[in-house]
Amino acid sequence: MSLIEDLIFFDNPSLWNDFGGTSSGLGGIVWQMFIWSVIVGLLVIIWLAYILVYYRHNDGDPDPKDVLKLGVFPKERGNTMIELAWTIAPLLLVTWLTIISLAPLNYLWDVPDENETDLTIEVIASQWQWEFVMPSNYIMPAEFTKCGSFDSNGTQLQNEHVTYNCLEIPHNSIVRFNINSLDVLHAFYIVEIGIKQDVVPNLQTLAWLDTSTVTPGEYNIYCAEMCGKSHSVMLAKLYITEVA
Amino acid sequence: MITNNLRKLSIGFLVAILIAISAFPTANSLPTGITDENTTNAVIANGCNCHNTNTEATASVIVNLTLPENFTSGETYTLTLNISGGPNDLIDGDNRGGFFVMASDGELSPIANDTHVQRPFGLTHLTHTAEGNDYREWNFEWTAPDKQDISVEFVAYGNSVNGADGSQNDYWNKQATTLYGVDAVVEVEAHEDLSGPQKLIYAFAIITVTLGVVVIGNQMVTKDQAFEDVLKGYWKAIYPWLTTTDHKYVGIMYICTGFGWFFVGGILGLLIRWQLMEPRIDGDFLTYEEYNSTFTMHGTTMIFMAAMPIIFGFANYLIPLQIGARDLAFPRLNALSYWLLPTGGIVIYMGYFTGGAGDVGWTGYTPYSSGDSATTPGTDFWVAGQIMLGASSTLTAINFLVTILRMRAPGVTMMKLPLFAWSILITVFLLLLSIPVFTVAIILLMADRTFGTLYFNVDAGADPILWQHLFWYFGHPEVYIVILPAFGVLSEIITTFSRRPIFGYTSMVYAMATIGIISFIVYGHHMFTSGADPLFRFIVMLTTMLVAVPTGIKIFNWLATMTGGSIVLKTPMIFALGTIITFTIGGITGIVLASIPMDIALHDGYFVVAHFHYVLVGGTLFSFIGGVYYWFPKMTGKMMDEKLGLLHFATTFIFFNAAFYPMHNVGLAGMPRRYATYDASLTELNEFISIGAMLFGIVQLIFVYNVLYSYKNGEEAGNDPWNGWSLEWTTSSPPPHNSFTKIPTLKVAEEEGQ
Repeated sequence: MSLIEDLIFFDNPSLWNDFGGTSSGLGGIVWQMFIWSVIVGLLVIIWLAYILVYYRHNDGDPDPKDVLKLGVFPKERGNTMIELAWTIAPLLLVTWLTIISLAPLNYLWDVPDENETDLTIEVIASQWQWEFVMPSNYIMPAEFTKCGSFDSNGTQLQNEHVTYNCLEIPHNSIVRFNINSLDVLHAFYIVEIGIKQDVVPNLQTLAWLDTSTVTPGEYNIYCAEMCGKSHSVMLAKLYITEVA
Repeated sequence: MITNNLRKLSIGFLVAILIAISAFPTANSLPTGITDENTTNAVIANGCNCHNTNTEATASVIVNLTLPENFTSGETYTLTLNISGGPNDLIDGDNRGGFFVMASDGELSPIANDTHVQRPFGLTHLTHTAEGNDYREWNFEWTAPDKQDISVEFVAYGNSVNGADGSQNDYWNKQATTLYGVDAVVEVEAHEDLSGPQKLIYAFAIITVTLGVVVIGNQMVTKDQAFEDVLKGYWKAIYPWLTTTDHKYVGIMYICTGFGWFFVGGILGLLIRWQLMEPRIDGDFLTYEEYNSTFTMHGTTMIFMAAMPIIFGFANYLIPLQIGARDLAFPRLNALSYWLLPTGGIVIYMGYFTGGAGDVGWTGYTPYSSGDSATTPGTDFWVAGQIMLGASSTLTAINFLVTILRMRAPGVTMMKLPLFAWSILITVFLLLLSIPVFTVAIILLMADRTFGTLYFNVDAGADPILWQHLFWYFGHPEVYIVILPAFGVLSEIITTFSRRPIFGYTSMVYAMATIGIISFIVYGHHMFTSGADPLFRFIVMLTTMLVAVPTGIKIFNWLATMTGGSIVLKTPMIFALGTIITFTIGGITGIVLASIPMDIALHDGYFVVAHFHYVLVGGTLFSFIGGVYYWFPKMTGKMMDEKLGLLHFATTFIFFNAAFYPMHNVGLAGMPRRYATYDASLTELNEFISIGAMLFGIVQLIFVYNVLYSYKNGEEAGNDPWNGWSLEWTTSSPPPHNSFTKIPTLKVAEEEGQ
């Protein structure tokens, strides 16, 4: 893709396209934000351009009637109606933007209880690796081949309950992450899906993902909170795999 | 008498601090080591193959045995061995390291009661114990042999163990060193390489001395003066600057220091961009640790040592002039505030000479910043310098508050203050309420790092996000502290160059005051992903959205001021108009980030970086560069060059957008901030950004040239070159010693019969 195309188009994290089916499309938060940003930006720029075209001072123009005088506090100018108008209009706009944020927010923060999920994974972050611990009764589906090393017979060597920097989860299921830190702050960030949650020592934080809303495939997990020397290589892979 | 006591007291303090520093414990830090003769022989013969997987040494594992320069017979030395680097570059932890060290002469022994190091019975080498196996650094003693004209061979093996899966994936390396006795005849070898900071210091010293010799020698020859007279001449020129309490001199020093640090911070910014030119591996250009130091210093420098001093430089110079006072309320306090600034800055930068400046980010989040893995002592220097800068800002805030509230000339009532003075009044109010909180937080952090207190120690049960609350309680008002004065400058410039009064003066004042108040209740929006109480986060989302309203009022009022005006497009005005555009873009992305679902995806990413550079560079810096063009005639009596000014604006505006606009796209594509490397698919955009940023940096030299050139060759300005109305234009340019020969009285247009 050319640089110009890169600058114009951008990929939304997939969660944005469809917050659990509650706010997708042009009425959804991403498009609304984009549309209103463009409207407000254009309003200011066009107004400014208009001013520059029509109100430039030319030689020989008479002084305006309320021209500034040295050492004299200028006459108060203003129009209450106009000022009220541009107080209320932004207020209405941000109220609207707040309202459309509520549904996705509710979706994101409404983390299902452990007994309502298909899979609950303990995510343990430390300098500088991700450890994923499956529940004790977890049986790894036969389709899972991505994480862990294998011996010559193709049998997985690594303990299937614990994987490092690699996580494979089933498609069409509700997955909950219980996130813990062993040392400093980290942030659990699934890049293409747009989930981010700080990893805080001494405090368990939560995130969840309905994998039916995303396509099966390979995703990146980054650490998004500065955690020291190898912060920028504290990466992991997330594989969402279809199971029968 | 009082001075004597003060001197004793300060010597007492110094002694107490020195004792405290020397008493500060230095941390030492490592199944059961090599305890039988067979294994010992095997190690000596084949290397450290005790973990069977790797029979070859791994070069990237760094084994470092610290030895004295030489030894004296019979003396006992404490030696330190540590291992780092390699595939398992971990910190101390369960089963993370092991060692084996031998000396060809003298006697190695564990330090008394040492539970990490042992000397197995009947053997001459040292090794770790079961407990020492959890560490990667060990201390032990070595007693030198009786003769001191010989050399002793040391051989150390370090085992970099990964803690987890048995002996798989463990790596080792070996270091052999020769230690000479004081009387040993040593063959002269090539001189050891100088370290980076040493080279820097020597280079600076050589350049300074050469320049000094050239300049002084030139003076001596051309003016036929004695060496002492030349120095006296310079001293005479510097002395007034060193001892001044005049707000105009202090103001200019603040502005110059601010722009000086801005240059340093800018160079660091360019280092960051050079690093991100392509996805680099550790140490390709900067090591990851150096990169962390670089962005920490870049942020700290730009906010605390560039933006704020530039703002308070202008405030120093202009506030007394604008309100018709002869000086600030406390001139000596003002000089103290100033001198704390370069001092604090130098202390922060001292970290570079101690093996790495602070690497905790300008936010200094605990528990990383309070823990061992942050650079030491670089981070301690960062903390110490921040305390000084905090003290400086607090004093400044008090000074301006008193000055503006108590020292206004006749006719200058509160609602007749120029908008720049209003913006500074609100700014110092915010500063006074917020920065002591940060200073206290950073003192607690210093106590944690230096004296072993546990305010931020999570293992001891401290609240892990306490720091974030304390920091952002200050940090958010701080960003308004740097943007509100910019609003003031813009209001002044736009009024003057539209040649008519500002539209809605009262609503402008209320808008700024509202922004000031709201700034204290929105800080939680920096913590949307932090795990703080959801209700708290939800409320700050609502309040954050509200900031758009007063900010919108200000932008619309400026536009309304210009509509129907008679606009004169001089450089200051062009910069003001450019600021409106860039600041509007920064404001819009701010609203995007205020929405929690959007923020969760964008937080700590380049979208945020783009946002705050649009606001801080495109808002604060652009308007203050406009301010330089606007008030330069007042400060020097000379006009700045318009053609160069226009060229400077055009190039700055284009390259600024080229450098920072694509950061929005990079952020949407998921690149986190503070990353020293990135996904290869983003290389093209990052290259574009880097080139834009470098050009943006280079074209600032036009500005430097313009200032120097205009100072020498500019046209005479006269008292009121731009036809402004406020009181600073009623005095001469530059103002006389006491700022006003006669205290002016502000008249009111309505009473003047207009």
